[in-house]
Amino acid sequence: MGKFLIRRLLQIIPVLFIISFVVFCLVFVAGDPVALMLPEDASPEDIEQLRESLGLNKPFHVQYFTYMLGLVQFDFGESFRYKESALPIVLERLPATLELATASMIVAIVIAIPLGIWSATKKNSPLDFLATGGAVLWKAMPNFWLGIMLIILFSVTLGWFPVSGRGSLSHLVLPALTLGTGIAAEMTRLIRSSMLEILNQDYIRTARSKGIREFFVINKHAFRNALIPVVTITALQTSTVVGGTLITETVFSWPGLGQLLIQAVNTRDMAIVQASVFIIAFMVILMNLLADIVYKILDPRIKYLKGEDICRSIHRLEIKIQQLQVQSRERLISLSVGCDFC
Amino acid sequence: MKRKAFWGIFLFVISALLLVGCSGETTTSEPAATQEQGSDNATDKDAENGADKTLTVAIGSDMVSFDIHDHNNTSTEAIHVNMFNYLFKKDAKGEIYPELVEDYQIIDDLTVEMKIKEGVTFHNGDPLTSEDVKFTLERVATDDKLKEYPNYKQIKEVQIIDDYTFKVITHAPEPSLFHRLSRLGSGILPKKYIEENGWDHFLANPVGTGPYQFKEWVRDDHITLVPYDNYYDGKVEEWDEVVFRVIPENSTRVSELLTGGVDIAVNIPPADWERVNANEGTSIVQEISNRVIMLILRSTEGLPTADPRVRQALDYAIDDGALVNNVLLGGAVPTTTMVGPGNFGHNPELYDTYNYDVEKAKALLAEAGYEDGFEITLQSPRGRYLQDAEVAEMIAGMLAAVNVKVNVEFLEWSNFVEMRNANENKEAYLLGLGNSMFDGAYSVDWYRAERYEGHTDYKNDKIEELLAASAVNMNPEEREKQIQEISAIAAEDVPFVNLYQEKINIGISDSIDFIPTPDEMIYAPSIKRK
Repeated sequence: MGKFLIRRLLQIIPVLFIISFVVFCLVFVAGDPVALMLPEDASPEDIEQLRESLGLNKPFHVQYFTYMLGLVQFDFGESFRYKESALPIVLERLPATLELATASMIVAIVIAIPLGIWSATKKNSPLDFLATGGAVLWKAMPNFWLGIMLIILFSVTLGWFPVSGRGSLSHLVLPALTLGTGIAAEMTRLIRSSMLEILNQDYIRTARSKGIREFFVINKHAFRNALIPVVTITALQTSTVVGGTLITETVFSWPGLGQLLIQAVNTRDMAIVQASVFIIAFMVILMNLLADIVYKILDPRIKYLKGEDICRSIHRLEIKIQQLQVQSRERLISLSVGCDFC
Repeated sequence: MKRKAFWGIFLFVISALLLVGCSGETTTSEPAATQEQGSDNATDKDAENGADKTLTVAIGSDMVSFDIHDHNNTSTEAIHVNMFNYLFKKDAKGEIYPELVEDYQIIDDLTVEMKIKEGVTFHNGDPLTSEDVKFTLERVATDDKLKEYPNYKQIKEVQIIDDYTFKVITHAPEPSLFHRLSRLGSGILPKKYIEENGWDHFLANPVGTGPYQFKEWVRDDHITLVPYDNYYDGKVEEWDEVVFRVIPENSTRVSELLTGGVDIAVNIPPADWERVNANEGTSIVQEISNRVIMLILRSTEGLPTADPRVRQALDYAIDDGALVNNVLLGGAVPTTTMVGPGNFGHNPELYDTYNYDVEKAKALLAEAGYEDGFEITLQSPRGRYLQDAEVAEMIAGMLAAVNVKVNVEFLEWSNFVEMRNANENKEAYLLGLGNSMFDGAYSVDWYRAERYEGHTDYKNDKIEELLAASAVNMNPEEREKQIQEISAIAAEDVPFVNLYQEKINIGISDSIDFIPTPDEMIYAPSIKRK
């Protein structure tokens, strides 16, 4: 486990460098920030003068070298917009985004787990159709539209919650619902299918035949085993949540990383974009690593091979989980099934 | 079975309770009482039982910086203007009057002597002196990294005569000097405070001489200002606190206004005007902005638009009135000049009017040899100006009526700017031109051949002559006539098709008196409670 952790932590370094290079290239080719800094009537001479002053007239490799030199010292450069070091600006926004992301995940889990279990236990009932149909419908709703609708209903019409901003817990409700319910929709379906698979296992039948109460059959025997894919999806949802904050934060004027990143992209504020993406990438990698560790705790039979990357390990786990065979009531025995893709 | 149902209901209720729990104390639904729950400030309002002296303004984008010389952003200046005083200021009609300046005298074409008011202090208590003026003006006039540098580089130096008297000397005769000193970025900085504490300290704890002083800035959330007790013109008693809240999404801004979360919401899109006006206690107020929307035409040889008759035909084929009434729902004024009211050199005869005559357009095209029409490309940004994409599409439809096939090419704003800078513009593109100087000379400078060679390729000898003369003419009356004449010639020769001047559309609470100004500033002392 120790070696695995060290190896995985070391893998983060090249991944982050590759991400930085890709983002640098994308921002570089996306457009000239100087042209956006000056007004419509700025003369070409004024634009060129400012470009030269900011060092943006230098060739790509020179700019990249300067950038990398700063990066190894955790200096992402100065924001064109704010004229301040980029990293502190990004870190200043991080708590707001983490707050929203955590609240959204709580909303998602709180909705998805009971609904997924209920839907599975009432398979093909009207409730099941309602839950699965609702999940598809909810997942199909764009975040920005849902956010605006929630504002109109709960803030403008009913006056229950503040429209926007960050401050009290009440400010958190609508953005967390907007982001969390979308994730809940996906998780509900996953928990349902996972539960259905488990509920068909022999050990569940055995448990029932022994006269164990249905509540314990579902929650103790079935749900616990259905939890592993839930952990997978929860970890993988980190990137979805971060992606969702870009829109949700803008709709609700939530002063987080997402709103900052949108503005930075619009103004080609290279330093802020780089620092934001770097931090987001780091968070996503960390969450995936955390998921791997949790798997190991949940199922000690899972082994990590040397050189295995995140996607492969997650994929391997999913395949393994799907093919898990349970042969006794108390004890789990897995079949060592190889992965076709690995 | 009953037990199962019980646990099912139990889980559901727990989930629901957790959800509701997140909502804190505001979940009680009393619409009348909760109308004010839009922000923490609104809670303060309730606490004061009607003695609400907090002005909350919803702005579309965050303030860029407290560096008055390095933002080039109207919404940022709308906040700065409450904290920093200018040497000169413009009133709602565009007339320039002295603000910090007590008296001034034009010595010669290059020199103006000014005396500033005594007793003016910065928010940290330091007195305003000539040293501060010299420090401020010479900084922006010499540091080419600053975004405002192009607008102040004409100033050579500031010579100090005594603590309150100084001379502003320009490199060349500068007829627009007073316009430059009364616009965006014209605040005066505290030299001693900045030199003692450093620039970073100033940016985090800015001080100016204005009626309001800095209290708090939570980026992308809000900026709070409070009255300055020792303001030279008397402490502003109207508002105890002015809060600028950053709300980028239009519909969210509108919702905040409707629920009483803010008193003023800027840039309300036409689709929401009816909603705001229909709501009890809110309404839309409009004022002319200083932005004219136009079609920039290419007069490059070989293109149909090189022929003045073709350019005139395009002007006659476009129904500006229909654009204003149907697309912008009255949120603009048609114009044939790019120098709007309130600008120096405005020609009223060319304003609030437009050319529209399809038959005449067809005749002009036939005369130019294009009776069967031709094909052009119209480049347009999408989302930059009010209803810009809709306007571009409607123009394409109007020109089709005179056999001009228009291929509309929409570009994302940064690509649009790059297209312009690289001179990759086709026959026509849609542009909105503002003029923070409020000096028509800067609008009509777009007709100068040398400046836009390879871009518009337009040249008119008479206009060239007038532009050269007005650039150094220190006689305001003569200069005004020269600019008006340039506009008149351009209205005939149509280097560009001037379409309309946009209006500023602001949603306000009916509990305040607020009249927007064309410079789009939100000057809190001029906003009153009813």
